[in-house]
Amino acid sequence: MTALVTPAPHGRSGRRVLRARVEARAAKWGRRAGTVAVTALLLVPFLPILLWAFADRWPYPELAPTVWGVGGWLTATAQGAWPALTRSLLLGLTVSAIATPLGAMAGRALARGRVPYGKMVTALLLAPVAVPPFAVTMGLTTVALRLGVPGVVALVAVLVVAAVPYTTYIMRAAYAGYDEGFEETARTLGAGSRHVLLRVHLPLVAPALAAAAFLAFLVGWSDYVVTLLIGAGRIVSLPLLLGASASASGNDPTIAVLALLATIPPVLLLTAVTVLSRRRTQR
Amino acid sequence: MNRRTASSRRAALLVLPALLPTVLVLGAGLGAAVIQSLGLLPLVGKPELSSAAYRALVVDDVLTGLGVSVAIAAASTSLALLVGATAAVLVQRSRIGGLAAVAAAVVPIPHLVGAATVGLLLADSGLVARLVGAQPGTFPALVGGPWWVAVVLELAWKESAFVAVVVLSSLATTERDLDEAAAGLGAGPWQRLRRVTLPLAAPALVVSGTISFAYVVGSYEVAWLLGRTYPEPLAVLAFRLFSDTDLTMRPQALAVAVLTVAVAAGALVAGAALLRRVAVLR
Amino acid sequence: MRRTTTRRTRARALGTLATAAAVALSACAAPVSNRTGTADDGYASWEDVAADARGQEVSLWMWGGDEKGNAYVDDVLAPAAADQGVTLRRVPVADTADALNRVVSELQAGQDSDGAVDLVWVNGENFRTGQQAGAWECGWTDLLPNSAYLDPTDPLLAEDFGTPVEGCESPWHKAQFALAYDAADVQHPPTSLTELFDWARAHPGRFTYPAPPDFTGSAFLRQSLYEVTGGPEQVPAGPDDDGAAGATSALWAELADLEPSLWRGGDTYPRDAAALDDLFAGDQVDFTMTYGPATLDARVADGTFPETTRVLTLDDGTLGNASFLAIPANAAHQAGAMVVADLALAPEQQLAKADPAVWGQYPVLELDRVPDDLAEQFADLAPSTVVPPFDELSRGADPELSADWVAPLERGWRDNVLTGQR
Repeated sequence: MTALVTPAPHGRSGRRVLRARVEARAAKWGRRAGTVAVTALLLVPFLPILLWAFADRWPYPELAPTVWGVGGWLTATAQGAWPALTRSLLLGLTVSAIATPLGAMAGRALARGRVPYGKMVTALLLAPVAVPPFAVTMGLTTVALRLGVPGVVALVAVLVVAAVPYTTYIMRAAYAGYDEGFEETARTLGAGSRHVLLRVHLPLVAPALAAAAFLAFLVGWSDYVVTLLIGAGRIVSLPLLLGASASASGNDPTIAVLALLATIPPVLLLTAVTVLSRRRTQR
Repeated sequence: MNRRTASSRRAALLVLPALLPTVLVLGAGLGAAVIQSLGLLPLVGKPELSSAAYRALVVDDVLTGLGVSVAIAAASTSLALLVGATAAVLVQRSRIGGLAAVAAAVVPIPHLVGAATVGLLLADSGLVARLVGAQPGTFPALVGGPWWVAVVLELAWKESAFVAVVVLSSLATTERDLDEAAAGLGAGPWQRLRRVTLPLAAPALVVSGTISFAYVVGSYEVAWLLGRTYPEPLAVLAFRLFSDTDLTMRPQALAVAVLTVAVAAGALVAGAALLRRVAVLR
Repeated sequence: MRRTTTRRTRARALGTLATAAAVALSACAAPVSNRTGTADDGYASWEDVAADARGQEVSLWMWGGDEKGNAYVDDVLAPAAADQGVTLRRVPVADTADALNRVVSELQAGQDSDGAVDLVWVNGENFRTGQQAGAWECGWTDLLPNSAYLDPTDPLLAEDFGTPVEGCESPWHKAQFALAYDAADVQHPPTSLTELFDWARAHPGRFTYPAPPDFTGSAFLRQSLYEVTGGPEQVPAGPDDDGAAGATSALWAELADLEPSLWRGGDTYPRDAAALDDLFAGDQVDFTMTYGPATLDARVADGTFPETTRVLTLDDGTLGNASFLAIPANAAHQAGAMVVADLALAPEQQLAKADPAVWGQYPVLELDRVPDDLAEQFADLAPSTVVPPFDELSRGADPELSADWVAPLERGWRDNVLTGQR
């Protein structure tokens, strides 16, 4: 862009440069307006939950809550929002802890292209993306019950499988750009395999690992349907609590608080992941 | 044993921990769904192989459901691609920060939360209706209306953020370099968008569009909260049949589930074919 | 999966897996066992029950959408259960059918004991379906000491939507179907459903009802069936009996004719009672309906509903029913569940939850049998401007239809009213 910003010469070519300059300026303002518009568009849906979460009383057609307060927070707490939040965190972390290493191993093998029937294996690993979780779960609940598989195990299994496509995809891309020469160099310098893994391999793929782990966490964190069908109410995750509140009346402040609670942790986690990987690349 | 088989064996071992649960869960889940839809695993009565569940399904319900599911998925995915791609390009070009962070922050929000908040925003007595001071009965039927506006908007909102993030990660620094080079050669903004940015973003657009289409076809909570009573998308239809107190409706629910899987899988196959063509063009 | 399969080639491994899955699945498809759901543990005395119950953790599965109900169970019932050595854990479900599905699936899987569900808040078609599948433990309710406060001749407690209770569930609440209206908008409130339908035709867009199979919408269908046929005694006992077709076709004709006058021209219906309440709160319609009218006070008090909300008094009365606590035949903690069911009947507990500020569920007890001081407190419960007292509300109450009717009515509405117009 800087190439265009030169003193305008006169004559025909000068007019062309001038036009290009005007175009560039218009494009620049267009981009600014566009950026602000799209950002606003993405942010607008947050507005109602922010307002309702602190509205004790907001009758129609008032524009703003008539009584502000934390009634929604108290009700949500009484409904067990905090234990549900903890449960959801645990579920997300468990799914992440299992699906990330699985995806990393598979991604590494696939990136090297030595997996027998590689294309079929890739297709199978990515297939869960195309299979609606509710369909698998409706079938699986019966089987899991008949085989005596505990609900929690079946739940984690389904969610891990739902997360594997994402972790595999990310890690395959990461390992495709991964230079094994570093490892060999370290080895020729006398580093043990443990040392190579901890000091060379893992630091190099850390940003991708973090991204994969985050997406896998999200699969567990935001699931509603699978927990509803297979957890059969035993696992009261945050989305389940939210779903139950949404099916009853007059709960708008509670719904907003639960929605807010379901939003904050992943956003915080995302910020942490971003900051960490940025710091790493800057180094 | 030569080196090559040894390394491919090692590769196979590395893949297995991910492959086994995937095959097991998908196989058992889908297998059981098919078996139950064929009446072989009934909750009440004797197991008996039959296509009764498929025949008992009200053809109109399934066909309209299929139409609604595909229409919602197509509309919300198109919108998501448009907004998501725009957002990604804007982030690449603009000096104003924040958009990338906002898009990234929308991705992790559960769709159920999105549905709840879009409901509070667009319902007949929602925030927007209050803002425009709509008289009762005059606000357009966005929630539960004939055009599924609230459902499509919620899905488009969430999925456009997803598209933006995927496209951004694929463009990254390569696009910026090429774009600057093209600009140096005197290419105008539109030309650069058409000749440089879009071709580079195409594979990511196809991949994210396919994933989001398949997701929407199989998603339940948004259409349930913001949709209408009739017709129902496939997932809502399957859920209603599945939770019917008449347990003999179960096979029908699973028949609809199997059909939904077929639609989503079809979308993935089409997406893969498209990706191959896009990659060749590139 | 055993480790050894990993040493084989991919194709073999996949083949083995497929076979294993097939075997596992066919082994699953065992024929249905004929369970009768009798009390095989056979408690002879309450002392045995109380002793066994000590230390048990009972999971009560109940619809989780009612904040007050949840709070009552957690804050009032659970501590009282803890005093008797029973830990009460509330499992919120989105639909009572989820709990039943769970029990039936477990029984199908041959899990005859140690089931996940110990106690279910249930009535109507869910009770009947469970009864047909042998899912409930029976013959235990007479053991409960607090059952002495019940009126043995009370028809609402002897039959649950036409299904004989037969000691397979213990009463918990009574409920009365009620319509509510905004007195600021409805100057001359209708006194029958026919008048209400006429009002709706005169005020297009200001009335609607939740789409069945929503519980409340389904109750509205049955109430309307009484209206078009002329009362409960005019409706045939079962949906396949003589005259049933005539009764339902009159109902569909009436509701289809009403449809264009409904909210949004009958183009769609509120998803559930909560969605109708939202419309009422947002002044989009002038009527709402509920099977738990005592909760209306709280909605008015917190400003969700207008202060001019009133319960509609219908000359011919409205549907009434009772809801119950049932113990699954394979419950892991049956003794604990019985202790909780007994506690739920205690006059103190029934009084506490009858208070609209706590929950607002009508008592199932016969007040003449309750100690005088407690009976007085029932009478003293906060008077309401919104809801008339229960004896007035339940005057001329209609018995519920047989549960056999529920599903056919819901399906018939779908075929004849919802989709029939398009």
